Amino acid sequence: MYRQGRPSGRGEELGLCHKRRREGHAHGTPPPWATPFRRFSSSTMNRSDFAPLGFGVGLRRPHYVHILEQHPPMDWFEVISENFMVEGGRPLEVLEGVRAHYPVVMHGVSLSIGSSDPLNRAYLDTLRAAARRFEPAWVSDHLCWTGVCGHNLHDLLPLPYTEEAVRHVAGRIRQVQDILERTILIENVSSYMAFRSSRLEEWEFLTAVAEEADCAILLDINNIFVSAFNHRFDPLRYVDAVPVERVVQFHLAGHSDHGSYLLDTHDHPIRAEVWALYEHAVRRFGRVPTLIEWDDNIPDFEVLAAAAAEARRRCDLALDSKRLHAAE
Amino acid sequence: MNLRELQSLLYQCITGSDLTNGNAGDERGRVLEELVHGDERLSASQRVGIYADGYFYRLLECLGEDFPAALAVLGADNFAALVKGYLLEYQPTEPSILYAGLYLADFLNNHPFGERWPFIAELARLERAVLDVFHAPDALALDVEGLRAVPSEEWPAIKLRTHSAVEIVHSEWRIADVLHRIEQGKEWKHPEHEEASVLVWRQNTLVHYRSLEPVERDALAAVSEGASFAAVCEAVAANAEEPNHTALIARLMARWLADGIVVAADNILAKRLHNQPAGAGDSG
Repeated sequence: MYRQGRPSGRGEELGLCHKRRREGHAHGTPPPWATPFRRFSSSTMNRSDFAPLGFGVGLRRPHYVHILEQHPPMDWFEVISENFMVEGGRPLEVLEGVRAHYPVVMHGVSLSIGSSDPLNRAYLDTLRAAARRFEPAWVSDHLCWTGVCGHNLHDLLPLPYTEEAVRHVAGRIRQVQDILERTILIENVSSYMAFRSSRLEEWEFLTAVAEEADCAILLDINNIFVSAFNHRFDPLRYVDAVPVERVVQFHLAGHSDHGSYLLDTHDHPIRAEVWALYEHAVRRFGRVPTLIEWDDNIPDFEVLAAAAAEARRRCDLALDSKRLHAAE
Repeated sequence: MNLRELQSLLYQCITGSDLTNGNAGDERGRVLEELVHGDERLSASQRVGIYADGYFYRLLECLGEDFPAALAVLGADNFAALVKGYLLEYQPTEPSILYAGLYLADFLNNHPFGERWPFIAELARLERAVLDVFHAPDALALDVEGLRAVPSEEWPAIKLRTHSAVEIVHSEWRIADVLHRIEQGKEWKHPEHEEASVLVWRQNTLVHYRSLEPVERDALAAVSEGASFAAVCEAVAANAEEPNHTALIARLMARWLADGIVVAADNILAKRLHNQPAGAGDSG
């Protein structure tokens, strides 16, 4: 189950004596690692337009102080967009401080691109303002719906995989890209139900939406594994069917085994089977920016950093083995 | 069934908002079997039930984090029952889960828990104020240097306002004492039944709160309405018990400036502040 990371109203925030930090790069002066944003145009998206960020972790509250004060080595951070779409206070100061030293990506959970409700223009305007302020390397959200009739379930629900849904979602992604003036990434979600009305496999649906919307794909390897178990499909078939040129980012996370189903809890280390699927994906898609998600029972920062290092090591090994096979 | 009908039905099943219909369970199960694949591991209803459980427990956890004092007073089981009822009446509408508990204090106003814990709605209102202040818009707080930039003869006419990250919570119970003890990890005590006003403000991104005496409460009420400094002084003079009004006003003003809870509300003062060297008016 995906949990939306939440800012806190108190807790350690109240007791924290945080100094303002003004050193680092001013936002008007791009730091050396910054890659210019790809502005949305009518042309087909190009994977090379997205920065090769490397291996990152999600920016989570228990690590704010450590990151702001110690600047630990990390290629990049991903933030939950909604946590920073606020009017003021500590969240914005934190992100400003992190952004001064690291590339950042904004990952949303409430775009609700698959909803039958109209797009939420106020939400999009706030997201655009946040993106202009913090200059993320890219903006992403999920291929799902999160609410209907003006209500929000705060969850990522699957769609029926039909041609009608492809047209509905792709048209909305194009609108979002026009409003945000950038190509966005759409992520496959983990799911626990599948609809009898579906006429496409999930990977066919994801590909069709991305092609018709001309958007990029955030491929969550753990979500593929979880959904493959829950719906009994071959995860390798999924990975092998997604178009290489559209995949711009990977997600890796842990899940929980409930016996009759797997739950995407983001509260465990990454399982061996998911690492294996990741290595398979690396051999197909190459060195794609990879992000470790951990949203509950959050361990010390060093544990997350070690997981990012492990992803780097496995990525290198997978690419080496691919080169060896190619040479043979 | 089109996409909207499908999503509306699933929404009702997940939130339990169709439970008022006595036959809804059977009918819902039949419809879900037609819509969602089931297998020997999980039926269609069980699969939708995973989302229903996720919805409730995610919001229960969220509201527990937003209202830790209400949770501590009520206990986990009562708090869960409270949230269950609340979500049937106030289903989240905002994209951010931050607003899920926006109406919990209102919901508690007429809740049966109020008989055993008559202060619980006010306690929840204070906790919500802390959360709102934490995320309230940033603004340039007025400080001593800023005020000194204004010639003293102009002071009566200048207008102040409370900072956007300031809220005053009025209550019939001494709820700040309860919140304070729970935040300190101490056992809470039933609060005194005594009118109180609690100032909640943010400074340097940290949220603070303290009880107000009536004279400061009324003075801040005048400030929040954009009254002139002269009018604020009159409000203080009308309520002050001590004879030296000037000293009292100076004390209050010094504290407001130190805490960063007032901003310039008129163009003259704002212009003077903006003409100062960079950072001179920044309370942080």
